[in-house]
Amino acid sequence: MLSRAAERIYWVGRYLERAENTARIVQQYSQLLLDLPPEVGVGWHELVEIFGVDRTFDARDQERAILEFLLSDADSGSSLLYSINMARENIRNSRDLLPQEAWENINELYQHARRSLERAADGESRFEVLSDCIGRCQQINGIFSGTMSHTSPYHFLTLGQNLERADMTSRIIDVAAAYLQQNERLVLRYGSTLWTNVLKSVSGFQMYRQYCQPQVEGIAVISFLLHDRQFPRAVSACVETAKQTATALPKCEPLIRSLSGVAETVPSPLPGDLDGAAVSDFMDVLQKRLGDSHVVVVDSWFLPAA
Amino acid sequence: MKFGPKTYSATGLYDELVDSNGNARPHARRLVDYFSGMEPGELLDRQHAVDSTIVDMGICFTIYSEGDNIDRAWPLDIIPRAMPGSEWDHVESGLKQRLIALNLFIDDLYNERRILKDKVVPAELIDSSRNYLAPCRGAKPRHGVWAHICGSDLVRDHDGVIYVLEDNLRVPSGVSYMLENRNVIKRVFPSIFRNHRVRPVNEYPSALNAMLRSIAPESAGDNPEVVVLTPGVYNSAYFEHTYLARTMGVELVEGSDLLVDDDVVYMRTIDGLKRVDTIYRRIDDTFIDPEVFRPDSMLGIPGLMRAWRAGNVALANAPGSGVADDKVIYSYVPDIIRYYMGEDEIIPNVPTWRCSDTKHLDHVLANIADLVVKPANESGGYGMLVGPHASKAEHDKFRELLRADPRNYIAQPTLSLSTAPTLCDDMLEPRHLDLRPFILQGSQISVTAGGLTRVAMVKGSLVVNSSQGGGSKDTWIVEDGD
Repeated sequence: MLSRAAERIYWVGRYLERAENTARIVQQYSQLLLDLPPEVGVGWHELVEIFGVDRTFDARDQERAILEFLLSDADSGSSLLYSINMARENIRNSRDLLPQEAWENINELYQHARRSLERAADGESRFEVLSDCIGRCQQINGIFSGTMSHTSPYHFLTLGQNLERADMTSRIIDVAAAYLQQNERLVLRYGSTLWTNVLKSVSGFQMYRQYCQPQVEGIAVISFLLHDRQFPRAVSACVETAKQTATALPKCEPLIRSLSGVAETVPSPLPGDLDGAAVSDFMDVLQKRLGDSHVVVVDSWFLPAA
Repeated sequence: MKFGPKTYSATGLYDELVDSNGNARPHARRLVDYFSGMEPGELLDRQHAVDSTIVDMGICFTIYSEGDNIDRAWPLDIIPRAMPGSEWDHVESGLKQRLIALNLFIDDLYNERRILKDKVVPAELIDSSRNYLAPCRGAKPRHGVWAHICGSDLVRDHDGVIYVLEDNLRVPSGVSYMLENRNVIKRVFPSIFRNHRVRPVNEYPSALNAMLRSIAPESAGDNPEVVVLTPGVYNSAYFEHTYLARTMGVELVEGSDLLVDDDVVYMRTIDGLKRVDTIYRRIDDTFIDPEVFRPDSMLGIPGLMRAWRAGNVALANAPGSGVADDKVIYSYVPDIIRYYMGEDEIIPNVPTWRCSDTKHLDHVLANIADLVVKPANESGGYGMLVGPHASKAEHDKFRELLRADPRNYIAQPTLSLSTAPTLCDDMLEPRHLDLRPFILQGSQISVTAGGLTRVAMVKGSLVVNSSQGGGSKDTWIVEDGD
């Protein structure tokens, strides 16, 4: 497989995953805010933090400005439209290696997003438009997993997808860690709502309920999202999948070493005295190590041989 | 002939589907029946279905002047253009004859030059040609074939005779649109195929792959590595490059993916370097190797010509093949066929006056108002004069040009291209069209069943180029007796 082609497909995996996660996070967050009174102190700005963006928005119409920035602004590198477009460009340039239906579907998704995302900033149709985007991303991933042979292109797709997914889950945990600091009265009243939202942001609510404690509470949720080996969006599961995938590629030792480092970032089980600040520090290290693993992928396979 | 409530009339023209009395031609009877039952609204609905299928399938092409808008939906008319199988068999044999002769000619030009010594074609014509590439002299591609992929443009005049208008031997494009047109029409009109026996076109990618494997160096063994070389995503035919690489299941590479070491071509892969045996290159001759041709080429691969001359890699088409698609050389093709094959040409050329010949030049100067004058080396309709549509001042300007540089010009009668019913707004009207079939030659020779039909969408216009508002049609070769 050509190095340049491998790089493009890796980015298909990343951007497609980022698009699906962005749509889901915004959708769940919008639902959450409907349930919370203002005094809880959770607003639109925390949503922007998840995406690692440090920027202030017009206070008068903050919801709209933030949602345009995260959804329909084609120039914002954090927007859903941007991720969809980048996934599309990389699929366009990889059409020789990916199933034809994937190109048709990403194209339809892009046309849909371009037409509808602006409306989604308004509120009324937001849930439906974002559900549609999520569904179409899942459809494309379904085409990949249902029709692609498990050879190098598929492996690079899987690598990109899992590194992106681990990173996004860690960002959600990072922002959620702030809830651990909330004053007790609010936590008692709304804690379950908040942590349910955290789980739903990664489609993890049902799986958490089926396999973990019936109680939805902070540390248990964080532990589930970090260390569960069976839930495919938990950091450990993503890192494990990436490691398994790497073993099928040539020259894979540096990446496997790097991913082992990622897996060891946060002790399992979590320390008993964990507070929000400590979680946040762990997440910073985790994200940095995931970034290092990305660099190892680039060095191992994408840089042209002399 | 009625289509819906309106009468379709192609009076004074040769129509592909309807005869001069307004009746459907026998091979098109069921097709015409099918569409003549439709109301204008239904025709429009179908056209919208075709258009949105094209957008969803991402079938697009590029126009350079549109800045960074790199997609334009491909224009496809809903009414197929049909030809009888028996007529096509005749055309097919003519196309094969032509390409075999042209390849014998190219091989001769770069080796013994017999045809020049025998004065069938003047040597100065070849030596003065920009497309005759000295670095190719003495090269011996496998099977003696240089132009492996040829796209010949065919037109039908008002007398019903099919002519070859030109041979494209460099990097002809359009075959992916031929394949996609059929895919779209099959999706939108599945039922009409039940009533017709239409020859399939979809074996082209397999035939192309087999041809490219057949020209690989013998040392490559049974499983040669074939790649498609593209200039990149901003090229107008990039859609086609990815389409062909994907449907053949081979790598799509850019110049920077390849390198030459010790006269062997390699590509950079995730496992390291891997040897390449056949390159279907979709970049022009002068860009393929900065060591030999344009030193400023960023698209090419330094050393590629050395590797090719050493017989370590096959290039399709071979560099230098363009020498035979010069428009002056075109006028000698009937002589070339006779010289190498001892046969008369099966498909006629359009009568052509060579301005390098004084008698021809006098005729052209006297009759310029009725003729089309073309420069020998340009393509895409640049620098042309269409006599009947030009002013007297333009005629005079071209007379000057012809006297100053006669070698560089040819002239042909103005043809009245055949038409076919085409949906314009909500009515069917006759529009002029041409046809580009694709011929493949390696160890075997094959021709597509039909080809890409291009349509001039403006009334009376003869300009079929998609970059200038032309459209296209699915092309049907219908078995006789249906």
